[in-house]
Amino acid sequence: MKQVIIIRYAEIYLKGKNRGFFEQIFANNIEKSLRGIKHEMHRPSGRYIIDNFAEEDVDEIVSRLKKVFGLHTLSLAYETGTSLEDIFEAAKLVCEEEGTFKVESHRGDKRYPLTSVEISKKLGGMILSYNYKLKVDVHKPSFTVNVDIRENDKALVFGNYIEGANGMPVGTAGKALLMISGGIDSPVAGHMIAKRGMKIDCLHFHSYPYTNDQAKEKVVDLATTLSSYTCGTNLCTVSVTHIQEAIHEKCKPELMITLLRRFMFRIAERHALRIGAQCLVTGESLGQVASQTIEGMTSSNSVVEKLPVLRPLVGFDKNEIIDRAVKIGTYETSILPYEDCCTVFLPDFPAIRPKLDEILREESKLDVEGMIEQAFASLERIVIM
Amino acid sequence: MIYFDNAATTKPKQTALSRAQIFLTERFFNPSAMYREGFAIQGEIKQARTALLAPICSTQEFEFIFTSCGTEADNQAIFSFAKRGNAVTTQGEHSAVYSTFQELKNRGVIEPRFAPLQKDGSVDVQKLLDMIDEKTSFVSVNHINNETGAINDINGIAAKVKKKNPRVIFHSDGVQAYGKIPFRLSKDIDLYSVSAHKIGGLKGVGGLIKRKGLVLPPYIIGGGQESGRRSGTENVFGIKQFEYAATEKFATIKEDWARLKELRSFLLAGLDKEIFAPISTENGSPYVTSVYAEGLRGEILLHTLSDKGIIVGTGSACSSNAKHRYSRVILACGYNEKQADGVLRISFCDETTRNDVEEGLEIINSCARELRERMK
Repeated sequence: MKQVIIIRYAEIYLKGKNRGFFEQIFANNIEKSLRGIKHEMHRPSGRYIIDNFAEEDVDEIVSRLKKVFGLHTLSLAYETGTSLEDIFEAAKLVCEEEGTFKVESHRGDKRYPLTSVEISKKLGGMILSYNYKLKVDVHKPSFTVNVDIRENDKALVFGNYIEGANGMPVGTAGKALLMISGGIDSPVAGHMIAKRGMKIDCLHFHSYPYTNDQAKEKVVDLATTLSSYTCGTNLCTVSVTHIQEAIHEKCKPELMITLLRRFMFRIAERHALRIGAQCLVTGESLGQVASQTIEGMTSSNSVVEKLPVLRPLVGFDKNEIIDRAVKIGTYETSILPYEDCCTVFLPDFPAIRPKLDEILREESKLDVEGMIEQAFASLERIVIM
Repeated sequence: MIYFDNAATTKPKQTALSRAQIFLTERFFNPSAMYREGFAIQGEIKQARTALLAPICSTQEFEFIFTSCGTEADNQAIFSFAKRGNAVTTQGEHSAVYSTFQELKNRGVIEPRFAPLQKDGSVDVQKLLDMIDEKTSFVSVNHINNETGAINDINGIAAKVKKKNPRVIFHSDGVQAYGKIPFRLSKDIDLYSVSAHKIGGLKGVGGLIKRKGLVLPPYIIGGGQESGRRSGTENVFGIKQFEYAATEKFATIKEDWARLKELRSFLLAGLDKEIFAPISTENGSPYVTSVYAEGLRGEILLHTLSDKGIIVGTGSACSSNAKHRYSRVILACGYNEKQADGVLRISFCDETTRNDVEEGLEIINSCARELRERMK
């Protein structure tokens, strides 16, 4: 008898002729997530089995697998012989000390002498006589003993199903560029898009020396947390200090954020096209702050020429976003009190409904192309595995 | 690089490092061990204790307890003695004292009282004394303010405090003073915290100097090291290096003080008066000089300076949280938020030269002017 982990995938089931493509990427992602841990992976039909790992690694393996998108459920199972005695020995390890249970059996090997119902009945009886504190309840049991007789003369015995991250395997839906700040929202937005199968690269804007290295480090930490879901990521940072200074010097103060954001979107789109990303992702939520009004979004969108801008949080309340951030583990880092975009230049009253003609008039005072080029000169790349 | 952040930490003294090296390599034994080699290490620690005490007080009347840092020494003093009634400290304390007082309040142990400061960062002695009553169990006043360099006459203050309430335990945080200011502890001081890495020692070593006869309840409990008052295997290498570094520092303490006093006057005179206004005064420690540049942000100036090879400290941080943003001490001195935002702390050590200050001045002035232009 040995311990194995059964992995079942989510929506890939719905795929037709290209299912193999999804399965392959899913398998690669699992391997990537388990990098550094000794194990073997097999792919019998419709699921994946991890075995030959050290017992002390089980917790780490499970917690890493739970972050792999495309994974529906997983179970810690015992692989044993197909005799009822062997199965019973494994079932003892699965059983809780007290409560109600039922046995669910499944025969992959139809030559097996007992039917599924017979296996459940007999095994249930053996368990009852083994532990008198247990009772059978086939409708609402407190735990289930699952038995799977496989074609290779092996049986898998396991308890409950552990919920995975669901979604689609990262890398099956192309690549996105996430505009990541140090805040709560953008990592959550990235997580949501990755969940639908996109690979995520990150772009962060800083304004050193007006912001500090801790603020940058915070973004590296956020990207690292995010990368445990996205099978790694590349984080690029770009300085927008000179842009803020030029706007500060030449343009109306209330348009600082509007104009700055237009620069950020321009830089992001160009960067995205260079790295082969197919969309921009932001953590904007409608009406959350002055720049996230529909007018603000219109103004930013109007400089993005070729790519769609995805805003997965657009209809979320702050509380909903926080809940998700806590769940994915970015919240604690996000609330560290370092500024991500310097407040030195922030106006007291930013324009909430900026008008496009006014924006264009102010923007015409600036050397947009030159400033974008200068921004790219400051680009730094950090690879996060 | 010119290093002007010696109030944060100093470069470890090289000769002290090499002399102490043997306690890492050959004489690595546990000082509590029974065999001769271990016992000999106990002797070494004893010798360090004496060497560290002698320059500032009578070894007959005081003893030295090693801790892992100045913060631990402060914590041990406060948690061990501020146990009833009220405890009085100043608004100018380092967080090691200030936050610990707050914590005791949160735990409902004592009522903390914070005496206001004068403009230079020293405590308003009369107001401090007014806060002391018959229920006061503990008083803590820092010797030298770590942000402004202001000196509190702790011997004088302790005498007045004891006169008002003789049962008070008097503690002083001497982290920025020990090995820098020529000074001796009077009999009115009960406890005095020191730290190694502010005078060429290593991080991870500190000490609590305690008047003999005062029973100090342990704060860290275990194997009974430091006569049961601070358990944990001693950091022998760090302790010996501290001893050697302090001995070296104390040998020139008066000359350093006088020389740095001149350098500090030179610094204050040389800073662009249109931008910088002093917080520190000529009466303060010449090791620490704080100035502010109204309208500039200290941390931004700090970043531009570090890009040019000048390392300084600041009283403000690029924090989105107002509580973390301004130095509580600078605000307590009576400066407003705008002024507190632009604080720069330039702190010297015994190795600082006139050349450093001349070169530093030029860069500090030019960076500040340039930044002011950009932020106009």
